[in-house]
Amino acid sequence: MQTSNDIVLSVENLQVHFHGEGPVAKAVDGIDYQIRGQQTVCIVGESGCGKTVTALAVMGLLPQPPAQIAAGAIYFRGQSLLEMSPAELRAVRGRGIAMVFQEPMTSLNPVFTIGDQISEMIRTHEPVSASDAARRVLQLLDDVGIPDPARRIKDYPHQLSGGQRQRVMIAMALACEPDLIIADEPTTALDVTVQAQILKLLRDLQARKKMAIQYITHDLGVVAAIADQVYVMYAGVIAEQGTTDHIFKNAAHPYTRALLAALPTRNKRGLRLYSIPGSVPHPAYKPKGCPFHPRCELRQPSCMEDFPQLCDFGKGHLVRCPITFADRGAGKQRLT
Amino acid sequence: MLSFLGRSLIQKLVTLFFVSVVSFLVIKLAPGQPSQIDPLNPKFTPEIVERIRKVYHLDQPLHVQYLLYYKDLFTGKVVSWRDERPVLGKIWERFLNSLPLFIVGTLLTWTFSFPVGIRSAIHRDGWYDKSTTLISYFLISIPGFFFAYILIILVVTKLNVPVIDMQTFGVTSASPLVHFMDRLWHLVLPSVLGATGGIAVLSRYVRSQMLEIIGQDYVRTAKAKGLDEDRVYYRHALRNALLPFVTMFGMILPGLIGGSVIIESIFSWPGMGRLAYEAILGRDYPVILTINFISAVLVLAGTLVSDLLYMVVDPRIRLE
Repeated sequence: MQTSNDIVLSVENLQVHFHGEGPVAKAVDGIDYQIRGQQTVCIVGESGCGKTVTALAVMGLLPQPPAQIAAGAIYFRGQSLLEMSPAELRAVRGRGIAMVFQEPMTSLNPVFTIGDQISEMIRTHEPVSASDAARRVLQLLDDVGIPDPARRIKDYPHQLSGGQRQRVMIAMALACEPDLIIADEPTTALDVTVQAQILKLLRDLQARKKMAIQYITHDLGVVAAIADQVYVMYAGVIAEQGTTDHIFKNAAHPYTRALLAALPTRNKRGLRLYSIPGSVPHPAYKPKGCPFHPRCELRQPSCMEDFPQLCDFGKGHLVRCPITFADRGAGKQRLT
Repeated sequence: MLSFLGRSLIQKLVTLFFVSVVSFLVIKLAPGQPSQIDPLNPKFTPEIVERIRKVYHLDQPLHVQYLLYYKDLFTGKVVSWRDERPVLGKIWERFLNSLPLFIVGTLLTWTFSFPVGIRSAIHRDGWYDKSTTLISYFLISIPGFFFAYILIILVVTKLNVPVIDMQTFGVTSASPLVHFMDRLWHLVLPSVLGATGGIAVLSRYVRSQMLEIIGQDYVRTAKAKGLDEDRVYYRHALRNALLPFVTMFGMILPGLIGGSVIIESIFSWPGMGRLAYEAILGRDYPVILTINFISAVLVLAGTLVSDLLYMVVDPRIRLE
């Protein structure tokens, strides 16, 4: 049984609004999640559902304005990140929580060598000499599988491939042995074969370095490969949460089930893949009631009126859909 | 690297040749002739005009004139048609007069533009940004000659700073220190005026460049590393934001020979700008052509310097 001390990150009722022209965009509209030590938590959802905004809010990297954290709290190891001074927050960034971004091609500074950029991370947070830092950089580059680190350490980002750059980003994130790494679609911009390598690398490193990972993705295939706990996000709220097992075997929310139906698998070979009609509503123009109702095949009149609450399916499996909750056990509705 | 230099030099020599031809032709095409600068003057009898044409080879075909001029230029024998003095000596003298103005003006422009622009970008839409934007647009839009006269009135009546010419008449008989200070005071107003427009434009440029870089992913990465703001902005962002200005740095080289006609005229400053202006009015072809040629050389040298500097500061660029 996990104790509360073991919780690395706790996000409570987080609401992030963007103020611009037109109505306020509620990009994140009240989400709760916890990450325990050494756990891998996946946040899944389509583009625009608020998953990256959530991560940036945790890192304190949202540009404010236009963004505004309207409500909620974020605790890292029990300390409220939103109440920290800038200096305290800087000490957490990189050392406590490190982030790997989606775009390896543009996330490294083009005018500094990769060795510089990694050792800068170490020397910002720890009082080590330049030569000690350089030794650790070599070790890190070796850890993330960069061949011939002694030569590569002097390379500039443009001399590396996309996959190698993402390995460098991971090495940088690992440099101060953080408790939590937030990986925001780290493999989306990479080739499929490289994707698999990076995923394996993250899993291996997590086991060795004993850290927690918050992995943001839109790819359920990736989720199956690495996640312990899954949060499915839709239009700024959590639609369904549970262990990976629950989500893949007993998915209850029509959105999750539609996502699973859209996943290519071996037994669907030759068949046309399912696709969810419509697209994620713009955060400033969400429909009344359940935000998913315009695209939902199980839609009832009540869905268009009332915002659904999370229903407890037991064992930590929560689903924001009273329709499926009422029908549970009574034979599952099938989606195409 | 060496092959780049070699190729670049050859290219630039070819360019220079075409520049020399075109500028020669443009001046020949311009209305008016040196021999007819003052047709109403009774002293300009047809015989004298004929003699002038002969002495200055104006009766020869164009290509011969061209060759004769450039032969004179490269042997250093080219002389002004106005006073028969060697052109290079004349230019050198005026160049030395313009140099302090150029150096002080450029230093002021570059030292003020960067801090102002960077600060505006970091505190975007804050009071500092808004007020510098307002002042910049004011300085950009106000005509230079008008602004100059306002400043002259203010400075002369309130501060008693001398403004006309390079030094006060008769000051050469005073002690060297007084003389030096006098020259320094004369330098203040024209160089400040020359710099204000430059600061207004360049600081806007720096601001927009810096803003673009601040929005880049790698600046976000730097913040995510837990670096403090100074390091994020002045190391990670600024290094990248400076890259385009390296090109501009090479481009200030031609300013050495250009001078400023307006400022030099207002302040009676005997500099390069006025020399060129007077040479054009007087159809003094050798002076015009020589200034043109030196400008072209400096422009081409400036681009070469820019290329080389770019290679030094941007690791992505390798010249081969």
